[in-house]
This record gives sequence, structure tokens and C-alpha cells, in this order.
Amino acid sequence: MDRPLAEFVDMLRYADVPVSIGEVLDAGRTIELLGYEDRGLLKAALSQVMAKTMDEMESFDKCFDEFFTSDVNLDLQENNPGQLSEDEEETDGSSPPPSSLDNLQDQDARQESGSGDGEGGGGGSQEGSPAEQSGQGGADGEAQSLLEMLEQGDRTGLTLAMNAAADSANLSNIVLMTQRGLFSRRIMEEMGLNEVTQEINQRRRNGNEDGANDLSGRLDILFDAVRDMVERQLALTADGKSTQFRQDVLKKVKLSNVETRDFRLMREMVRRMAKRLTDMNSRVKKVKNRGHLDIRKTMRRNVAYDGILFETHWKQKEKDRPKVLAVCDVSGSVASVARFLLLFLYSMNEVLPKVRSFAFSGTLGEITDMFDRYGPEEAVPMAIEKFGGRSTDYGRAMEDFKDLVFDEIDNRTTVIILGDGRSNGSDPRSDILKEIKTRAKRVIWLNPERKSVWGTGDSEMPRITPYCTKAEVCNSLVKLELVIRDLLKTSS
Amino acid sequence: MTFIDKDPAAAIDQIQKGFEKSGYICDRHIATSIYLSQKLDKPILVEGPPGVGKTELAKATSEFLGADLIRLQCYEGLDESKALYEWKYGKQLLYTQILKEKLGDLLEDAQGLNASMEKLHQFGDHFFSEQFLEARPLLQALKSEKQVVLLIDEIDKSDHEFEAYLLEILSDYQITVPEIGTVKAKTKPVVFLTSNNSREMGDALKRRCLHLYIPFPDSDRERQIIQARVPELTEGLRNQLVSFVQQLRAQDLKKLPAVSETIDWARTLLLLHTEELDTELVRNTLNMLLKFEDDIDNIDSEVPKLVLEARKANR
Repeated sequence: MDRPLAEFVDMLRYADVPVSIGEVLDAGRTIELLGYEDRGLLKAALSQVMAKTMDEMESFDKCFDEFFTSDVNLDLQENNPGQLSEDEEETDGSSPPPSSLDNLQDQDARQESGSGDGEGGGGGSQEGSPAEQSGQGGADGEAQSLLEMLEQGDRTGLTLAMNAAADSANLSNIVLMTQRGLFSRRIMEEMGLNEVTQEINQRRRNGNEDGANDLSGRLDILFDAVRDMVERQLALTADGKSTQFRQDVLKKVKLSNVETRDFRLMREMVRRMAKRLTDMNSRVKKVKNRGHLDIRKTMRRNVAYDGILFETHWKQKEKDRPKVLAVCDVSGSVASVARFLLLFLYSMNEVLPKVRSFAFSGTLGEITDMFDRYGPEEAVPMAIEKFGGRSTDYGRAMEDFKDLVFDEIDNRTTVIILGDGRSNGSDPRSDILKEIKTRAKRVIWLNPERKSVWGTGDSEMPRITPYCTKAEVCNSLVKLELVIRDLLKTSS
Repeated sequence: MTFIDKDPAAAIDQIQKGFEKSGYICDRHIATSIYLSQKLDKPILVEGPPGVGKTELAKATSEFLGADLIRLQCYEGLDESKALYEWKYGKQLLYTQILKEKLGDLLEDAQGLNASMEKLHQFGDHFFSEQFLEARPLLQALKSEKQVVLLIDEIDKSDHEFEAYLLEILSDYQITVPEIGTVKAKTKPVVFLTSNNSREMGDALKRRCLHLYIPFPDSDRERQIIQARVPELTEGLRNQLVSFVQQLRAQDLKKLPAVSETIDWARTLLLLHTEELDTELVRNTLNMLLKFEDDIDNIDSEVPKLVLEARKANR
């Protein structure tokens, strides 16, 4: 496999496009077929081989553009020192024509002596630690060439050395912004920075200001190129790694404390969790779904054929999908949890196709239609706007709920109620809840408050809990996932 | 196939032209994926909104390659007995009944149960041989002597376990039937899987396929498509029609009108001898484009504005 492809694959993986080894092999064959020349064609082809969903396609597009244009950028940067040095040489040549040659020769001579010194210095430090020894040794070998390359404006050589140095400095491990300086420094040192600075100093000491300035100018350009490379790498890797880190934190953070800027990430996480649960549960269904030969029915059905078993009949079990009624308090304190509960439930419509949702603070209303029409992401804020903002009245909400759907509650229905149980002093009508419980398969009450404050102040939880199959604290994504997992387990 | 050994760009051009001839207007992206699938021997997973020509692509390919099309429509509850193979139970049972007496003759001289069993074993598994095997689409595609195009339509409608059955055929072009053994493809079929994304496909399946996403076409391409499919339509009306549909797609609708709906609408307008779009006509025929009552109601008030816009497209 060629190196650009390997690097590109690394980049894709960091950008959350999981490229399997098989796909890499395919990509290799594709490149073999098409070559690198026609970028448009290559992009179209590779996107089909490597990106397998719409989201991945988006990341792929971004990565591809970035990866292949960054190559071009690198060329430019390589050009820069070249052009600059040419310019300088031209100006050098124009101002004092006869001395320029001498100058160059001088420089050559000094370069040799400088590198000799460098080796001496390297030898001195070799007595230090063995690790340093090898590093210095490598740097020594390259330092000479770095100086030469800088002098000659050898772009290819410089790029190669830069990449090699980046490799040995483990640039791909860079994670944090603050590591930028460290890594650029390390790469420069790896390439033989010391020799060049020594050389510059020496020229200064010998009164060759022009030569020193020229060299340090070139060095600066190289520094810029290295810094650019480090930053590109940071953009590549840090994104993926820090997202992972943030996700781990977000899973456990209280849902009411999630900040707006993290919503997008949270939605993504909810979707992923939901997908996992969906996958797990559709696998469970498989066993139930399998048909066996129903001997009795086959016999009975074939009586018409004089007892010759002619037509077969198969046993088949019907899938039982839980009906879920979700009732959410959308007043200020609970709204953010409601948002994620609803998002979760609707992300699972494959295994939970029959979710009806209701929102209340003062009055209660059905919001199922909104979800069908706008999708959960838009529907939740709309529902909060429509029903939220009033002071919570659980009694009123219960009455409304009873009027709306009481007849539809049957022994396969799960009623999930999300609320803090703070009814602002009014009667929570736990008698209605009792009626619901007798009819429904189960009633689950989720409360974002922790258990120790249940029953304090205007909290009606002690009056509510007896009429719930289960009353639980639910304030983080992890808890939410547990609740829903439970819901699916007992329903199948 | 001749096009395959050529230089990639030329081969892709040829595919594009060939498809155009059979009335399927495709962009380079699609042609590239056909080329790749031929070169890499990979199935293509085609995704996109309903009505953009996913199934048509398979049909056009079969026409282009001159191969038969075998189609497997997926649905919830589809299992291997309907997709891969099934034993002809009826036939098996019938044969046992018919052969009952023959069996009696055969076993006549055998003494006792053990001897009879012994004798029976000598006949081998006659009832589980190819004669009793009902080949369903997947097996048909593998057993075919000529190259075929296998279309597995709306794979997202099938169950998870069915996806797993498919893996073997998708990666190695073979199927293992427990009673017979492995059936390998005589000639590798060209496989298309289409999905409306009503459910996310498993990673294992995706990994084995090329992934092709067909979006709604832009107005230029849609005009070409209408020209190819409804050539009788005048150019002016075609431009208006496409412009109208393109605007409609920018609206907030439950179901956006797809290419197939545009084609249907174009045919309708042709039947009505329409010269130019006007508000009344559009309102009356809007049900060709929009398939939800809500959508039609919502768009109704917008119609004059959209028609006005669409007429501008002509000039």
C-alpha cells in the first residue's frame, strides 16, 4: 500500500469514518486502477469505496479536500523558500557581482568547518544518556544535509527530512493545542536545528552578517512550514480524540447542566445509543420469529388431500411491540431532560414504533404529530414553547391525560411519566394514576431530582410512588439508557 | 465486456453514453460506481430518497450489459426460504406417498428393522437433491450460466437476519446449502442493493459493498431526464416544469416530489395538451406531485408564486 493512502486512511479514521482493512485494500485497488491524476474521478470512486453513510460521506468530502489540497499547500511552502532564496541570490548577485562568488565559497568553507564543529559537539554530548546519543547521532547525520538543503533550497530534501523528523518525533500523538510549540521545536531539533543556529552564530561572530541573515531567513521559512505541518496534524487528530473525551464526560453529566453548544454532540450520542439498543433488540426478536413446521395444522389442512401431506403449515409467532405513552413535564427545570427522553424514544422508532407523546406544564396536549412532521430535533423546542412556561399542575395534567387517551391504555401499554413531582401545592390526583396503573402494563415515573429530596417542599413523590410500577431518578444519559433498555427487555 | 479493459475515463464515458441510450441519464458519479463494481467485483449499495431511479439503475445496467435482471423484493419477514432456496416439501411428500409401494417392494427381502434401515441408507439422500430444490432469486442468480444483474430491492425493509444471509453471497458469490454443500456462482452476477434508509444497514454489509448515494438531480440533469423520458414535451414547458418541481423541493414538505413524479407529471401535462403552466392547472394536477393531503393543502397558497417563478425560467 502506498504511503499517501495510508495517511489518508488515518485521517479518515480520526474524522469518524471507520475504514476497515478490507475497504483499504479496495481503495488501494481503486487507486491502482484510476491513478492519482484525475482528482474528481478519484474522489467519486474512493467515496464509494470508503464512506458508507451520508454522514461519513460528508466527513469524507471534507477530508479528501483537505488532504489533497494540503499536499498542494505543502508544495507552495516548499516553493517559498526556493523562490525566496533565488530572489536573495539574485539581489546578492546584483549588488556586488565579483564578491558574491567569493562569498559563496566562503560560506562553503565555513559550512564545512561548521559541520565539523557540530560533529565535535555531538561527540561531546554522546557521553550523556544513550537515548540522547542516538538522537544526536541521527541529528548529526541530518544536520549536515539540513544546512546544505537550506543553502541550496532543496525543497524535496527538506520535505522528506521534515516528514522523517515528524515521524521520529511522534507527531501523530499530538492532542492538545498547547503541544504545538513543543512538537515544532522537537521536529526542528530532529532535523538539526542546533547545527544551523551554531552556524548562524558563527557567521555573526565572523562578521558575515549577510550570510547569517540569509541563513536565518531561510530557517524561519522552514520553521513556518514545520509549524504549519504540526497544526495540520493537530487539526486532524485532536478533533477525533477530544470529541471522544468530551463524549465520555457528557454521558455522565446531569442532563439539566448540558450546555447548548453540546446539544449537537449529545444528539449524536443519543442517536448512537439508540441504534445500539435497536440492534440488540432486533436480534432478540429473531429467535421468536423463526417458524417451525406445525405438524398438527399441517395434518388438519391436508385432510382434504386424503391424508397425503401435501401442504405445509408453519408456526409463526407474532411480534409484540410495546406501546409507549410518554408524558413529559416541560416546565423549566425538567424540560432539558424531557428533550433527551423524547429524542431517545423517537430515535428508536424501529423497535418502538408506537410512541405517543404528551407534554404539559399547566395543561396537557399531545405532541405526537409534531414529531411525525418535524422530527425530534425541531419538535422538542416547539413542544416546549407551546406547552411549557406555565406553573406545573400535575392534577390538571392527569385529568387531561385521562380525557385524551384513557380508553387506549391496555395491558400492553407502558406509560412513562417524566416530571419532578412538584405540583405547586395542588392535588396531583394520584387516584387517576392509580386507575392508569390498573389498566396499563406498567407505569414508570422518571424524576430528574435525586431521591433524597423527594418529598421535600411541594414534591408529591411520596404520594405518587405507590401507584407506579417503578419510580426512578433519571438525570444523565447513562441513566436514560438504562431505563430504556429495561423498557425493551421486559417488553419482549 | 469490451468497455472494461479500456482506460478508466474512457470506460466511464462509455457507460454514461450507453445508459443514455437506454434512457437513463446518469452523472459521472453513478457511471464511476458501475465501472468500479465491474472492476472490483463488488456489489453496489444504492441509497437515496424514493423515486430517484435506484431500481431503474439496475434495470438500465441489465440493458447495458445485455444481461437478465433477477429481482428480489425485500419485505419484513422475508427469509432464506423465499430468497435463497427452499425444499419442495409438497413434491417431497407427494413422492414419498407415490413411492410407498415401491419402497415396500424394495424392502421386501429385508429381515427386521435394522436390515431395512441398512438397505434404505444405500439409496442415498434422494429427497434432498437438486431436483427437490426450489431455487429462489439469489440461488437462481448464482446458478445462471450467463451473467445476470441481481437486484435486491429495498433491503432496508428486510430483517437483520436476512442481511446476514446475504453476506456470503455478497463477498464470495456463493451460497452454502446445508444439505447439498456450497453453490458457487458460475459467472459472477452484478449485484445491486437498494435502500431508502428506513433503517441503517449493518456495517458488515456496507463493508462488502460500494456505497452510492443518488440525490435529487439538479435542474439541468432533471431537464435531460425529462427530455429522454418524455421527448414529446416542448422545451418551454419542460423548463417551466422542472423549475417548478425544483422550487417545490425547497419547500417544507412531508414527502418531496422525486424524479418519477416529475416524469408522471410531465406525461399528465402532455395528455392535457398543456402549452404553459398556469395556476389553475397546477392546482388541479398537484396530486401527481404531492402524495400527502397535508402537503397539498400547505402548498396550495404558494402555487401562484411558484408558477410565476417557473414561467420566468423559460426566458
